[in-house]
Amino acid sequence: MTLEIVVMIKQVPDSQEVVIDPVTFTLNRSAARNVINPADENAIEAALRIKDKEKDVHITVITMGPPFAETALIDAMARGVDDAILVSDRAFAGADTYPTGLTLAATITRMGKFDIIFAGEESTDSSTGHVGPGVAEFLGIEQASYTSSTWIEDEFVYADRELEDGIETVRMKSPCLITVLTNSNVPRNPTLRMKIDSIKKGIKTWSLADIGLKPEWVGLKGSPTIVKSMRTINEKKREGKKFKAGEMDKFVDELVSKGILKL
Amino acid sequence: MVGLVNAEPPENAGEYKNVLIFLETRQGKLAKPGLEMISVGAAIAHKVNEELIGIVMGNKIEGLVQEAGEYGCDKVIGLKSKDLEDFRTIPYSVNLSELITELKPNILLIPATRNGRDLASRIAVRSKTGVTADCTELDIDPAERILQARRPTYGESTLAEILCKRHRPQMATARPGIFSVPERDPKRKFVSEIRKTTIKKEFLKKEIVSFKPKSTLDLTSAKIIVSGGLGLGKPSGFKLLEELAGEIGASVGASRPTVDMGWIERDHQVGQTGQSVRPDIYIACGISGKAQHIMGMRLSKNIVSINTDASAELNSISDYIINEDLYKVIPELIDAIKRRKSGEKKPAEAPA
Ligand SMILES: Cc1cc2nc3c(=O)[nH]c(=O)nc-3n(C[C@H](O)[C@H](O)[C@H](O)COP(=O)(O)OP(=O)(O)OC[C@H]3O[C@@H](n4cnc5c(N)ncnc54)[C@H](O)[C@@H]3O)c2cc1C
Ligand SMILES: Nc1ncnc2c1ncn2[C@@H]1O[C@H](COP(=O)(O)O)[C@@H](O)[C@H]1O
Repeated sequence: MTLEIVVMIKQVPDSQEVVIDPVTFTLNRSAARNVINPADENAIEAALRIKDKEKDVHITVITMGPPFAETALIDAMARGVDDAILVSDRAFAGADTYPTGLTLAATITRMGKFDIIFAGEESTDSSTGHVGPGVAEFLGIEQASYTSSTWIEDEFVYADRELEDGIETVRMKSPCLITVLTNSNVPRNPTLRMKIDSIKKGIKTWSLADIGLKPEWVGLKGSPTIVKSMRTINEKKREGKKFKAGEMDKFVDELVSKGILKL
Repeated sequence: MVGLVNAEPPENAGEYKNVLIFLETRQGKLAKPGLEMISVGAAIAHKVNEELIGIVMGNKIEGLVQEAGEYGCDKVIGLKSKDLEDFRTIPYSVNLSELITELKPNILLIPATRNGRDLASRIAVRSKTGVTADCTELDIDPAERILQARRPTYGESTLAEILCKRHRPQMATARPGIFSVPERDPKRKFVSEIRKTTIKKEFLKKEIVSFKPKSTLDLTSAKIIVSGGLGLGKPSGFKLLEELAGEIGASVGASRPTVDMGWIERDHQVGQTGQSVRPDIYIACGISGKAQHIMGMRLSKNIVSINTDASAELNSISDYIINEDLYKVIPELIDAIKRRKSGEKKPAEAPA
């Protein structure tokens, strides 16, 4: 029987191109290109590695996003993913993690059979890490978060979870959800040939009606949290006082006399 | 299909009160990130004349329940079972959400550790409520009893205040290393209760096959950090930094590329994909100060930049700039510190 893998990916502004304004300390993201969220690239790679090893694996990438998120899906297909679904609807706008998880869980339910769902550990633009486990809860399945590798052995799914104080190896039966750490593997690059093939093959686009949720359950309306306000974090004025080689005694005196360094 | 029915969060703010705090245990001990939330949790609860209730789950928890009270919980509930000995998502989330149904807390606080975030995500969906991740400030609006959960966003440049007005409990996770562990007082009065529970087999399907402990460096609580970047030029550059760090009781940090090249272990990495630190002094040696690095250290109280490039980005957020070759100036700095410690004068100033 085919092993069905789903990878949830999100398109985010490229953080290497997002620059911090040195005066206001706000982020200028307008100039940035959109890319696949870094951890999600590792999630795609983790899925592809299972496909490299096991027989009869089928991978679908899904994203909830605006129409232009199609480019992220095409990019994933060009790396070796079989199919892609874009769930897109005006009603999804403004979703916090709760309706995002619900929307993705409903999409996966609509897809039919699934064995392993992969997500990134967190997204660089909202960085909560809540969407992956949230989907697992909506679907009522097991999960392993913050993993550095996943493999299949004797019909069990194994994963290494990297915790603050050590590495925990877990095993469980599918269906299950795995969240993948940023930098846990080296993602392969899309080839030009496969890029052309993916564009030819195309993606599926589903709307709210296709996944059978009510409009008041999704997007801003379905979000329990609201952003009340944003303020710039008060940046301390930094003097940038200069010291040269040969002045290190003076420098140490300064730090000690100001109570910055205690010797 | 388990969860999708009744996916709409109910409006249930009315009858909920008190602050619940999940105290994570690691390897049989109460972990620091949970203890760090006790003061802020107690402050929020007491501001509206409510209680802070600590939750401890595990097998041998009697001592930990006592400890949680001594650190400042008004009440502590221990859930005891050998199946709760190690954290596993489903048994922990099922048990915690049963407690939520019973106790109806207005607020639920969970540390934003890896297991904490894992648990918080599932509880939010189970309780059909909102959760604000990775907060660095927590307060309460006393009139409405609304949690004001604030978290840095957009690369630590902005602080967003997030509210959950209609759904309960109002949930937040707090970033480790931001709040400090309160003083432990063996004489503090509190109420405690230990309940034995049994966990259904169906919730125990995930097995922990092995655990390999590793000692990881906790930079988040370091007071002084000496941090190295590609400007070190070679792995042995970290030896020099260790020497400096040794003199001033500092921990060693690193930029990501030095970690990627294997010059130093990953737990030394500072930045967006490493640790977020806020020491009293951050001494950056040969670090350019790209956005992803700055995100992890710009809240340091004092920043020193040692860099051959006067226009390095990091200099624009530095209190002290030493525009020199680090291999020239760090040995001088080490000597100056040694002299200062031993009360010696600088050679040039010393009487002939
Ligand atoms: C998604 C993503 C996440 C990232 N996360 C992180 C992160 O968490 N942490 C992180 O650090 N980076 C992160 N990065 C990488 C980041 O963008 C930068 O590439 C990195 O911080 C640069 O490291 P560096 O300052 O050591 O190196 P460089 O930028 O190469 O800077 C080296 C500096 O050393 C100076 N120098 C050279 N020789 C000497 C000398 N002899 N004495 C003194 N100074 C000298 C140079 O003038 C230069 O300023 C991330 C990138 C991405 C895309
Ligand atoms: N809109 C989305 N579409 C698909 N997957 C998503 C979306 N948002 C988040 N995810 C997945 O959930 C992970 C965690 O995201 P977050 O909870 O936003 O930090 C990401 O790495 C993705 O795998």
